[in-house]
Amino acid sequence: MFKELLKLERFPTIWCPGCGIGQIMIQLAMVMDELGLDHTNCTVISGIGCTGRLAGYMNMDSVYTLHGRTLPVAEAVKLVNPSLKVIVVSGDGDLASIGGNHLLHAVRRNPDLTVLCNNNQVYGLTGGHAGPTTPRDTRTVSSPAGSPYDPVNLQNLMKAGAKYFYAKTTVYHQVHLRHCIKEAIAWPGFAFVDITSQCIENHGRRLGFNSAYEMLLHFRKTYKRAPDGAEILGPDEIGIVRKG
Amino acid sequence: MKRLVEGNEAVFLGALKAGATFFAGYPITPSSEILALAAEHAARDHGFKFIQSEDEIAAANAIIGASLAGAKSFTATSGPGFSLVQEAIGYAHQAEVPTVFVNVQRVGPATGMPTMPAQQDILQTKYGSSGDYYPLVFYPNSVEECYRYAITAFNAAEESMSPVILLSDAFIGHLNEVVDLDAIEVKVVPRSRPPLGTGKRSFSGLAHDEEGNPRTADAEVYRKWLSKVKARHEEVAARYSDFKFKGNTSSDTLIISYGIVSRVIAPLDSEFALFRPIRIFPMLGPELQHYAQGYKKIVVIEANDGQYGCLVERELKREVIQVPLLGGRISLGLAKKGLSEKLGREVH
Repeated sequence: MFKELLKLERFPTIWCPGCGIGQIMIQLAMVMDELGLDHTNCTVISGIGCTGRLAGYMNMDSVYTLHGRTLPVAEAVKLVNPSLKVIVVSGDGDLASIGGNHLLHAVRRNPDLTVLCNNNQVYGLTGGHAGPTTPRDTRTVSSPAGSPYDPVNLQNLMKAGAKYFYAKTTVYHQVHLRHCIKEAIAWPGFAFVDITSQCIENHGRRLGFNSAYEMLLHFRKTYKRAPDGAEILGPDEIGIVRKG
Repeated sequence: MKRLVEGNEAVFLGALKAGATFFAGYPITPSSEILALAAEHAARDHGFKFIQSEDEIAAANAIIGASLAGAKSFTATSGPGFSLVQEAIGYAHQAEVPTVFVNVQRVGPATGMPTMPAQQDILQTKYGSSGDYYPLVFYPNSVEECYRYAITAFNAAEESMSPVILLSDAFIGHLNEVVDLDAIEVKVVPRSRPPLGTGKRSFSGLAHDEEGNPRTADAEVYRKWLSKVKARHEEVAARYSDFKFKGNTSSDTLIISYGIVSRVIAPLDSEFALFRPIRIFPMLGPELQHYAQGYKKIVVIEANDGQYGCLVERELKREVIQVPLLGGRISLGLAKKGLSEKLGREVH
């Protein structure tokens, strides 16, 4: 049962009602259950931010690292114990901003890690500040006139490596999300799953959404499956691009 | 076998003797020899893991991950690199992760004088990270001691479940001396904690209770935790109350110095009593008080502008004369000149 992989005694979680992170956690637990991953052969490592708290809800040894430092910790864990499945779960701000240098070099070194990135395009925990993935012109607490920059292109960053695995999915597309997590865990190298997710309380409401449900419907309307074998994902496409 | 060994090499060999199997680091003078030795060793021995990290922050966090995964781990850095690892040192104290940070000091602040020795990180070793913590810090002054105290640092890390700092400096790190390291008998403390993948524990930088559950707004839990950690550090420190004292009944002055400075001023023993703390932190309070008793004047000579001196003053609750040796030029002549000025008489 996937529920045995969660520390239910720590529930309710700290996440706001309607947050997307819980869905990512459930899908991860279901995949782990299917693959036979548990406290004897797996560890979950997370960084700071709302997503960072996920590690502490997993019923196995987990590490909630410093802000931005998931990848150096995870790479070292994998190097010391290659038989351990190491899964990193963190937010876009943690991975792509403060941890950006580590991400760049993880792509270069290609360690055998699975990274799930909860990409809600905002610093939710601090109250809704613009992050590295915030789309241009988006109004946030720290970009009242709209973010002046284009977001970081995670797909291109991953493809900077000679070998890469990049999956783009959303919290709405649950079956696809689960498929991406499963494929990423099976990938023998650095696998990055970019999960578009909703932060209703500290971002969505400012954008005009009335509920998390509206945000999910927006994901459904916006994102389409990329054709099989696509080598590049368009901005509104979900799918997997990889090169072994 | 007797042979010529460099200080940095002795630190590395001590780490191996202590059972270290993981090194992560970023090249920075004057600590880089330790990184190069680790790289060479990893190429020969596949049980030893090595990462040349993208920066010191990554290295510091990698050794934390390696320790949690079951390896005795360490990094070596200097100057600005030691500033960059401070956040990780705080994390390792909060999450109770045993590991070793080697700091081969050079003149700062910032890039400063990269190849010149200093002792300017003394307060940073104690207060460099945010929050309250109780670091164990050792500072050897010879190649043999570099070896010995590298082992001690790993032992104390496992016993205190925390990061331990081994201080050195550009001179001690690059000092070559003939030693027989094989003849040195040392005990090695085994790893203290089962590795990741064997339990259901949560390691984190959050304040937590005994079970590792985050307790971020409970003052009582926090106070209890901090006092337990403090007591553990004091208990471990008491096992390593290491110092050297050379009395001088014809002198009314005790000079306190450590690391490279204590080597340089050793010839002053005919004129002064000398005290050298090896365990820099926690401070050797009772020992300092005991040996300072018979002396009218207390002088601290150090290669910084009075960092340890002010703490000695606080510990002894009496005035301490400070003789700073600054700018990386550490010589007996400079020490004598400073002493002559401060004591108001010619020191020969």
